[in-house]
Amino acid sequence: MPELGRAALIVCLGAALYAVAAGAYAAWTGRRRLQESAQNAILAAFLGAAVASVVLLTALLRKDFSFTYVWQHTSRELPTAYTFSSFWGGQEGSLLLWLLILTGFSSVAVLLGRRSARSLLPWTVPILGGVTVFFAFMLVVVSTPFATQVAPGDGQGLNPSLQNPYMLVHPPMLYLGFVGLTIPFAFAMGALAARRSDELWIVVTRRWTLVAWTFLGFGQLLGAHWAYVEVGWGGYFAWDPVENAALMPWLAATAFLHSVMIQEKRGMLKIWNVLLVVGAFALALFGTFLTRSGILSSIHSFTESSIGPWFLGFIAVVVAGSTALIVSRLPLLRAKTRLESPVSREATFLYNNLLLVAFCLTILWGVAYPILTDALRGEPVTVGPPYYNFFLKAFGLPLLVLMGIGPLIAWRRASVRGLGRVFAWPLAIAVATGLVLVVLGAGSSIPGLVGYTFCAFVLASIGLEFARGTRARRAISGDSWASAFAQLVGRNRRRYGGYVVHAAIVLLAIGVIGSSAYDTTKEQRLRAGESMAIGDYTLTYRGATTERAANATELRALVDVERGGESLGTMQPGKNSYPAEQQVSNEAAIRSDRLNGEDLFLIAEQIGPRSVFLKVLVKPLVNLIWIAGFVFLAGSLIALWPDAREQRRLAVRYGGREAIARA
Amino acid sequence: MLAIFLVYTALAGGTPQVKPSQLKGHTREVTLVGKVTGPVRGDARGSGLRFQLRDVKGSASGVLVTYKGSVPEMFRTGRDVSLRGRLRGATFVGIPGTLVTKCPSKYTPAKKS
Repeated sequence: MPELGRAALIVCLGAALYAVAAGAYAAWTGRRRLQESAQNAILAAFLGAAVASVVLLTALLRKDFSFTYVWQHTSRELPTAYTFSSFWGGQEGSLLLWLLILTGFSSVAVLLGRRSARSLLPWTVPILGGVTVFFAFMLVVVSTPFATQVAPGDGQGLNPSLQNPYMLVHPPMLYLGFVGLTIPFAFAMGALAARRSDELWIVVTRRWTLVAWTFLGFGQLLGAHWAYVEVGWGGYFAWDPVENAALMPWLAATAFLHSVMIQEKRGMLKIWNVLLVVGAFALALFGTFLTRSGILSSIHSFTESSIGPWFLGFIAVVVAGSTALIVSRLPLLRAKTRLESPVSREATFLYNNLLLVAFCLTILWGVAYPILTDALRGEPVTVGPPYYNFFLKAFGLPLLVLMGIGPLIAWRRASVRGLGRVFAWPLAIAVATGLVLVVLGAGSSIPGLVGYTFCAFVLASIGLEFARGTRARRAISGDSWASAFAQLVGRNRRRYGGYVVHAAIVLLAIGVIGSSAYDTTKEQRLRAGESMAIGDYTLTYRGATTERAANATELRALVDVERGGESLGTMQPGKNSYPAEQQVSNEAAIRSDRLNGEDLFLIAEQIGPRSVFLKVLVKPLVNLIWIAGFVFLAGSLIALWPDAREQRRLAVRYGGREAIARA
Repeated sequence: MLAIFLVYTALAGGTPQVKPSQLKGHTREVTLVGKVTGPVRGDARGSGLRFQLRDVKGSASGVLVTYKGSVPEMFRTGRDVSLRGRLRGATFVGIPGTLVTKCPSKYTPAKKS
């Protein structure tokens, strides 16, 4: 069996090499048959990766400890679900997952491209092949999942912190996001290599970018929720290098999703767009590198491994190669139109891009800083959350405002009178909200107050867009409000899906601001029967209980919770100790209020029958963050949903050229 | 301009990360990274926890650390930890809430001992 896995990976590597060499030669000479053969090699590479994955998965499920990987990451008593997830619990398996998704995505892109973008495929295929060669090479030569040994009696087991339902979905989602960014990158480079200056590559890869971006975004929120519920320090994001590693490509992809609209509509920002797509892809590689190189210490903590330099080398090749290609094609990328006014929708998109990229670079700088200072001064200097939080406010608040301005402002050139008319209502609502919040006492945090006022502005402008559009449609069709609304969204899925995503970002902002600018924390030792007050809650310690579960001893502190004289029940923060793994886990207790989205978060330490040390956090509105995740998903789905009308429009626009290219 | 801004902030806001053997001469706030040795005494929620920290690699002698505040579950003798703080005389005084243990890696199997 391991031989089959190894052979399949070699087939994958061979097919990918063929796709690069034959594909490039065929594209160069214009040989149609050879081009198709190179495309088929991509499909063959997928088959190889799929067979290798099946071999590894079978070995895992059979607990075949003669595979070193299986022995290292599972044990006899490990439940099936976590045996499944141990596929990506280790370095070799996670690289194989990368390869599997990469070749799978590439195959789908090739098959779809044969219909919609035949003229782009010749040069795109060797680039997809090149990325595949790297990962297949890593798996064949550097870090093989199919190493064997004389089978020991039992495996070493999966790290207990990974035995968690979130670990079944969170890592694969991030991989789908990281890997998905390869496709727009390959098509962009393919278009450049073929000396094409039009927007076909953007049109073809729009959905790929959206899908990758959605997975990346939702995957990160899942990770945040996992940290909040399971790790239990009272937070959900800590600017940890690994968290940053996933955030950076997401920010670059966000910028890219916006700026391509300007190229589609106005033929501007061509160089910027290819730079962004290269940046997003390189950052995705950098993120994968960071989690494996052992170069930075983080909560996710990595061991040093041999694959770091290889990754760094590959990133260097990608960046240098793409830059050279872009420079050689600069004349093609000249914009046909110029920015007419700094007050226009184009300009708003431009500011949005500058802010997103600036924020992304800020994070990159923070992540790289310890590495740079270590190299220069021999002593790593780390920058902490204050650094990131400062720039989150500096760049995030203007971004929030732009989200309210962008959808309403006119294209090309906006007049002052027009601006007054469009923004009168959102501005009035924002100011009114701000005043009400000050009366309610939100003035305790100025950034919080400013943030909430901006949130109201954005929500008002989004609401206004929906209301205006619905009214206009109703005036045309004479239908009911509901059906006019449905038609409005259905006919402009990209646009209104985008607005729903904006609404999700506002919800996220409200949740983040509420839980970070208006939270309350209190630490206190309580004797049995003693009470403490925090916010409008009263907590009373009732004593401790110990229960024996199958694999752990569960120690719990019983805390009665009251608010306004009304009992809200008993919360049970505590600790679990796992004798087999010799580990203790913190089990925080969380009470979410359905009405106002507030959490009461309890961490218990030094639990004893007579006293307990309680850390209590009140986090207002934190639940909006998780709701935002689902709104985000809904918005992305609306924007992604196939739209026959749009397909026809694009067919008319690019079909002619495609037909010429085919002739 | 952005770059200058970033350099400035990082210089003003960064904390150097040092090993116990490099600690001598540092008067500013630093992040100390090392391995917990010797007995752990005291109460983190009372008078303070007292323990020795020495370099993760190498055999240089350690430094005495005092610390109050929340202590991670994984904290015990033999663990690699980091905490922020300042050297006062011969004792490193930790800042409450900054003690972090480095958990066994995601990409290595959990060691059973």
